[in-house]
Amino acid sequence: MAPEVGEKPEVGSNKVPVKDTKGWAIRLLPLLRLLAFFATVSAMIVMALNKQTKTLVVATIGSTPVKATLTARFQHTPAFVFFVVANGMASLHNLLMLMLEFTGHKFDFKGVRFLMMAILDMMTVGVVSGGASAALFMGELARNGNSHARWNKICDKFDTFCEHGNGALIASFLALLLLTIITTISIIKLQNLHYSINHSVLP
Amino acid sequence: MTKAKRIPPFLLRLLALSATISATIVLVTSHDSAEVLNMSFVAKYSNSPTLKYFMIVNAIASGYSLVLLFVPSKSLLWHFLLVLDLVITSLLISSISAALAIAYVAKKGNSHAGWLPICGQVPKFCDHVTGALVAGFAAVIIYFLLLLYSIHNVLDLLSTAKA
Repeated sequence: MAPEVGEKPEVGSNKVPVKDTKGWAIRLLPLLRLLAFFATVSAMIVMALNKQTKTLVVATIGSTPVKATLTARFQHTPAFVFFVVANGMASLHNLLMLMLEFTGHKFDFKGVRFLMMAILDMMTVGVVSGGASAALFMGELARNGNSHARWNKICDKFDTFCEHGNGALIASFLALLLLTIITTISIIKLQNLHYSINHSVLP
Repeated sequence: MTKAKRIPPFLLRLLALSATISATIVLVTSHDSAEVLNMSFVAKYSNSPTLKYFMIVNAIASGYSLVLLFVPSKSLLWHFLLVLDLVITSLLISSISAALAIAYVAKKGNSHAGWLPICGQVPKFCDHVTGALVAGFAAVIIYFLLLLYSIHNVLDLLSTAKA
């Protein structure tokens, strides 16, 4: 029985739809996905609306201070732009997965559905972790500056900007944790499914 | 399980090991100094927390790869190692993403924040770090492929072993 290359996994050969025998996974997974969806959406929205305008004294000519109005926007830094885009993609993915959980049994995906969900979950974990960590280190640079490179810190002047960025980052890391848990549960679900069909004995 | 099926993951792990080790070593040996208007500019990787994080994560990933080269192919450990693979891959992705963000600021500066680019003053350091980042990015791609291989290993998807 030589394996054929490119054949769909054996989980789909049965025409009988396999239902999750483990009750906890059925109820836990949509709840976690909902939480992750809210976390990514809030991270994206808080960072996208991040803006602060401040009037600062930049120089003193004689005795009159020269004021300039400076604005801090999230678009000024590519890291924050990537953060917003990454969280947007993750929330789209979470929304899609939520819809699939509730309507997936209507379509006959032949079991590839769980595999695709696991792989897409892993890719989303990667994307969100990239976005969150880029924004984290850029924020760290903004808060502490870098004396060796002569880069000044900006958080002491634009405090609201930094606070909002903090909040968005916390939401994004929460989403990352939830997505990792979701991916692990998806993989466990996939293993149970695979075992229950191919070996006809649950591990 | 024929021997031929075990070679691609082993080769990939060897490649991943070499990518992460080269990223670490190239970053650690990056060093440059410049004298600009009586100000001495010494550029080392330890001056930036982001590059330190990049170095640490790549060192952890190379140690992980080294240990995994010796795990036999069909043991039950792979079920647990799949999750660990995912964690290490996502750590690598986060480290390369952060390092690229900081490297962009170093190369182009950020006029809104008043940060001047430093690559003009310390070009050797910048080239070295660029090389380390390229190796790190290659490591990320190879680790992602290894993740897909781990799934295949655990789930045995392409075989028709039916009871």
